[in-house]
Formats: sequence, structure tokens, C-alpha cells
Amino acid sequence: MAFVDYYQILGLDKTASEKDIKNAYRKLARKYHPDLNPDDKEAQKKFQELNEANEVLSDAEKRKKYDQYGKDWQHGEEYQRAQQSRSRSQQGYGYSGDEGGGFSDFFESMFGSSSGFGGGRQVKFKGQDYKAEVSLDLREAYETQKKTLTVNGKNIRITIPAGIENGQTIKIAGHGGNGSNGGPNGDLYITFTIANDEKFRRSGNDIHIKEDVDLYTAVLGGDIVIETLSGKVKLNVKPETQNGTAVRLKGKGFPVYKNEGKFGDLYVTFNVRIPTNLTERQKELFTELSQS
Amino acid sequence: METDKLLPTDKFCAYYNVEYSFVETLQEIGLIETVVIQETQFIHIPHLQKIERIIRLHDDLNINPEGIEAVQTLLDRIERMNAEVILLKNRLRFYES
Repeated sequence: MAFVDYYQILGLDKTASEKDIKNAYRKLARKYHPDLNPDDKEAQKKFQELNEANEVLSDAEKRKKYDQYGKDWQHGEEYQRAQQSRSRSQQGYGYSGDEGGGFSDFFESMFGSSSGFGGGRQVKFKGQDYKAEVSLDLREAYETQKKTLTVNGKNIRITIPAGIENGQTIKIAGHGGNGSNGGPNGDLYITFTIANDEKFRRSGNDIHIKEDVDLYTAVLGGDIVIETLSGKVKLNVKPETQNGTAVRLKGKGFPVYKNEGKFGDLYVTFNVRIPTNLTERQKELFTELSQS
Repeated sequence: METDKLLPTDKFCAYYNVEYSFVETLQEIGLIETVVIQETQFIHIPHLQKIERIIRLHDDLNINPEGIEAVQTLLDRIERMNAEVILLKNRLRFYES
């Protein structure tokens, strides 16, 4: 367990006055407050350290004890006695660590668990929000999925609506950390990563694919069978179709998120394949064609 | 009006240990919305998370309601920009794949 230098955390020296401590805390708290730095874990960690430093240094009794035994906290006889007699009321704070502790081992060893943040404020606050990431492939995202996640040892069954977007976050209310002082539980935020697919490229609710067409079908027209995310579809290729031509199949794209029965479109770009390994006869026919 | 999604303001104040006047000020400057049903003022429960953030900014950082409004506006803008970044990243992904 390492010694924590609370003066250094607040950028102060040991002679700092109460006002200096308050000002330093306010200034740094404004910079690192988690509400002002959403999704910044470093800022959250820093804010926790600031809270702890402020909790000790802004309380005359705690500061005295810290100044007296801080560095030698493991040896001070008086500290040992204080440790034995300290109360162990349990209370966390909204920004506390992942498991709700919030204070360093050093702090808890010296002062016990916090008896209240911010000078004993007894406010009921919602618990910490948890964040999780779930990866799906494109074909999984095409259909509504039911999955069981384990978050902090608890199994949570979730339904992922079809059409979820890469990077999209959904909130599962009440599955975050426990509230403090009887406040409501926090929420669970799940961010989804949708892997790219080799064949199907997604652009919003539309899907793009490339489809090979032999030269003869491209020139003369005909039917081909293509694979879509909802199964095989017969597609008519018009005569004299040029290489790179794209056609749209309405409603054969990706499902629209939380909009049942609604789908984007499928764009098929034709890649006309030139025949290879021609026989002498075929070459003659092509020559004939080129001269006609 | 679904009353199960409403919390009486006096209960809210007792629960969160805030002055009634603080809620009044937040409402006056448009930071929160309240409804009055049969002379009782209520807060929307789905807005609690936002109000908790306001209380934290007020208590932890000593920011006044006007300052909180400015912070709120900027945080909303960040949220919108984040959504736009995701959209643009996905578009970029389409051309890179």
C-alpha cells in the first residue's frame, strides 16, 4: 500500500491555509469533474484523488493526523489505536471506483471508509453508471438478438434490436452501481461494435454489394441469382449492361433500428467478367463481331 | 399525464437535500421542467439524471444556475458532436472497407 501525498495532489505545500486548500480543490475539480469530462477515465481517476485529498486536508482533525503520521502510517502507535477504534460506516460516492470503494487503500487504512463525501453531505445519489462493449458481426446486427451479459458478476439478459449501428450506445436502466444513501441504481451503457463483412458493406440502412456478371449476360441480358442478407434473390440483368452499373433493390437493405418492417435498400454493382482461355473458334467469333 | 413518472418536488428536495428555491430557480431559467397537478408541483422522473448532474455541478464546483446552463449547453453540444463523429466514422469505414 503506497503513501499518498495529498498536498502534491492539490499542488500545495504543508503550510497551505484552509483557503488555499479550498481554492486549489475548486480549481482542479473544475478541470477534472467527471460531468465535464464524460468518458474520460483519467479525469475520473484524478477527480477521485482530488476528493480524497480534499476530504483529508479540509478536515482539521484528519489533516492533523495525516500530517503527524502520514508517511509513517504503518508504525504510529497512536495511529494503531485510532485504527482499532475507528468506525466503519460504509458509504460510496457517485464517482467512486469500479467496485464502489472510491478511496485509496491508504485512506481507508488511515481513516476508515468515508463517513460522507464533501464534509458529511448525506445526499441520496444515483449509483455509478457502468459501461460495457459488445461486438457483433454484420449478419448478427441484421436480426434482433437476445444475449446474456455478465456485468460485475450479475447476468443481464438484453435484447439488441435489429439494425443497431456501429458505435451506437444503448442504456439498460438500473443495472449500474448501487445508489448511495438509498439512492437509485446507476445505469448500464452498452456500446456496440459491428464488424465489417467481406461481402456486404453497410452505409446507414443501405447495403452495397458487388456482383460478377459474365460478358454474355451483360451483353444479351438475363437472370442471375444473388445472395442478400435475407436470402437468395433472382435479379434481371438488362441487355447491354455496362461494367460498374449499379441497380437498387428497394427494401432489401438493412433493417431500420426500432422500426419494425422497415428496411434500407440494397445496391448491386455489376462487375462484368471478360471470358478467359478462349478457344480458337471463340476468338474467331469475337474477331467477326469486332468487324461487324 | 402519467403520474407514475412524476416525483413531488417537496419529496425530491428532501431526498436530494436541496432547497425548494433551488428547484424554482432551475425551472425559472429553463434548466428543468416541472408540472403542477392539483396544486402539487412535480418533477419528471426521467429527468432525474440530468437534475442530479446539475446538483453535482452546483455542490461540487460551486457553479451557479446560470453557469450550469452554459455548461449544460456545451455538454449537449459535445453529445451531439459525438453522435456526428460516430456517423462520420461509419461513413469513412464504408469507403475504407
